[in-house]
Amino acid sequence: MSTVDIELRKVRKVYFKDRLEIPVLEGLDLTIAAGEFVVLMGPSGSGKSTLLHLIGGLDSATGGSVRVGDAHLEKMSERERTAWRSRHVGFIFQMYHLVPVLTAAQNVELPLLLFSMSSSQRKERVRTALEVVGLSDRADHRPNQLSGGQEQRVAIARAIVTDPDVILADEPTGDLDAKTSEEILELLNLLNSEFGKTILMVTHDPRAASHGQRTVHLDKGVLDREELNPARPRGAAAMVS
Amino acid sequence: MALPLTYNFRNLLVRRLSTSLTFFVVTVVVAVLCVLLSFAAGIRASLRASGWPQNVLVLKTGATAESTSIIYPDEAGRIVQTPGIATDSSGQLLLSPELCVQTSVPRIGPDGTPANVAIRGVDRVAFDVHPEVKLIEGRLFEDGAQEVIVGVQARDRYQNLHVGGEVMLGRSTNRVFKVVGVFEAAGGALESEIWSGRTMIADAHNFRFVSSIAVRLEDPARAEEAIRYIKGPAVRMNARTEVDYYDDLSTKTRQIVLLTSILIGIMSVGAIFAVANTMYASVDSRRREIAMLRTIGFSRRSIVTSFLVESLLITLTACLVGIAVSLSVDGSRQDFLSDTTWTVLAYELRVTPEIILSALGLSTLVGLFGGLAPAVRASRTRIIEALRKA
Ligand SMILES: Nc1ncnc2c1ncn2[C@@H]1O[C@H](COP(=O)(O)OP(=O)(O)O)[C@@H](O)[C@H]1O
Ligand SMILES: [Mg+2]
Repeated sequence: MSTVDIELRKVRKVYFKDRLEIPVLEGLDLTIAAGEFVVLMGPSGSGKSTLLHLIGGLDSATGGSVRVGDAHLEKMSERERTAWRSRHVGFIFQMYHLVPVLTAAQNVELPLLLFSMSSSQRKERVRTALEVVGLSDRADHRPNQLSGGQEQRVAIARAIVTDPDVILADEPTGDLDAKTSEEILELLNLLNSEFGKTILMVTHDPRAASHGQRTVHLDKGVLDREELNPARPRGAAAMVS
Repeated sequence: MALPLTYNFRNLLVRRLSTSLTFFVVTVVVAVLCVLLSFAAGIRASLRASGWPQNVLVLKTGATAESTSIIYPDEAGRIVQTPGIATDSSGQLLLSPELCVQTSVPRIGPDGTPANVAIRGVDRVAFDVHPEVKLIEGRLFEDGAQEVIVGVQARDRYQNLHVGGEVMLGRSTNRVFKVVGVFEAAGGALESEIWSGRTMIADAHNFRFVSSIAVRLEDPARAEEAIRYIKGPAVRMNARTEVDYYDDLSTKTRQIVLLTSILIGIMSVGAIFAVANTMYASVDSRRREIAMLRTIGFSRRSIVTSFLVESLLITLTACLVGIAVSLSVDGSRQDFLSDTTWTVLAYELRVTPEIILSALGLSTLVGLFGGLAPAVRASRTRIIEALRKA
């Protein structure tokens, strides 16, 4: 069970474009308990990806605080955040972003290259991760030899191979058909329930949302409402405050 | 730990055309560098193998080469007082008066174009003054006989210069000299010459002078003193150690090196642009991949390193191929027409370790200079923008 919770306080994010301020997040508060599976919904352009990037340390907030476990991201340098990401966060994107010239196993191995680990230890981890996502038999395939659903599974294996506390998924089923989407969501569910990962997933799809324990809605720079999923009760209480 | 080499290698294979063009450019630059410098190295090696530090070559004042120097017997007599001259076992001073002429001999080969071969008329003492000259075949010419011995390089390159062959010499090229022996001279310039008795050569040309006097000293340390004496009022002739003399003959190699440097400098700039172009294209088409690597936790520095490794992978493998190409000329024989003596010196092209090192150094620089700006651009990829849907 992950012990890493997430806490955002009065988070502001302003983009600048041609000297014009584009406010995206305006004093957003969000608390996610350790081991929780939260779904983030909202209109296109409302700042869902931006929020994910802030939590994952890919970008820094204009104001407010972002804490993930012990890490106070707003106080960390770009370099520190990069090192932190490699150990604590797994990202899953709509576009998979696999390296086309590498095999599935080599793609999954990439994050481990940042750890001091023997090659046999890495191979073992990669094998386990591919097993979890059910792709052991595709280890030596290149991305272009895989279906979209399989590519996303490889991306998930890559996200979990370092055993991160937090998984951030940005529309992970956005490019997949309904059946494949369901498989991917089942997989995320498994990571949450069996492996205790804290998950924040962005989606447009209400059916996808039904896999989370809680859904928060982002609009006009703040989280304006949330729903608990009665079908998936959770232990720890966490509220939009 | 850094990104694995296979990652870089496969990415190069993806952009096969661009990579191979750049590869080709660097290969050509390296091959040209190695071949041109091997000319210079070959000439220099041949001339460096010539001459002793304790041998002083005496020429007429104002002459820079044996071919333009004329010393009359009375002048020659003045140098016997030179301090430090070595003697042989019988007490004879090691002073070798030598007469240099030339004759035209057709080369071995289909066209058989004639070239000027240096003829050196010497006395017996010459073999003590030039101890590197060793007979490897046949016998020495006899005094008073129309006989010659030939250097190995001359024998191998000109027609009819094997033992038993004949060569035409003399003022009107009408005297037949028989080849009776072949000699080596430690790979030096003398191996390109034909030697005969001095009086026979003087007769054939009706010359009553010598071209030079080679003086062997007891000790190289006394060369300076001896040279000062010979240049001074007692003798008033030009004198230099043989080593210096052959060094000067090799000024041509310095020109080759200079021209090569200029040419390679220009070509390298082209190669740098080719590398940069290939790498920029690669970086631009891999922005998302780079952003993903950064997301996973690869630092800016590791991205810079990875792209530099990639460009070095191109230039260094191209370098190895270029060196391999140039090694095919290694050891091949060339003629060098000395513009001071107007005789032909034979030498072998030499791709020396120094040349290989400079090729590797150059390729490394081309890889670094060409790859640096694209690598830095790659490391500055804005993660979030690059990750967005295209
Ligand atoms: N780098 C940027 N520069 C300027 N505006 C940006 C930048 N990134 C995002 N935005 C803007 O911020 C808003 C939120 O973007 P995003 O977080 O991607 O929304 P969502 O993921 O909810 O669709 C959008 O209006 C977008 O145009
Ligand atoms: Mg988005």
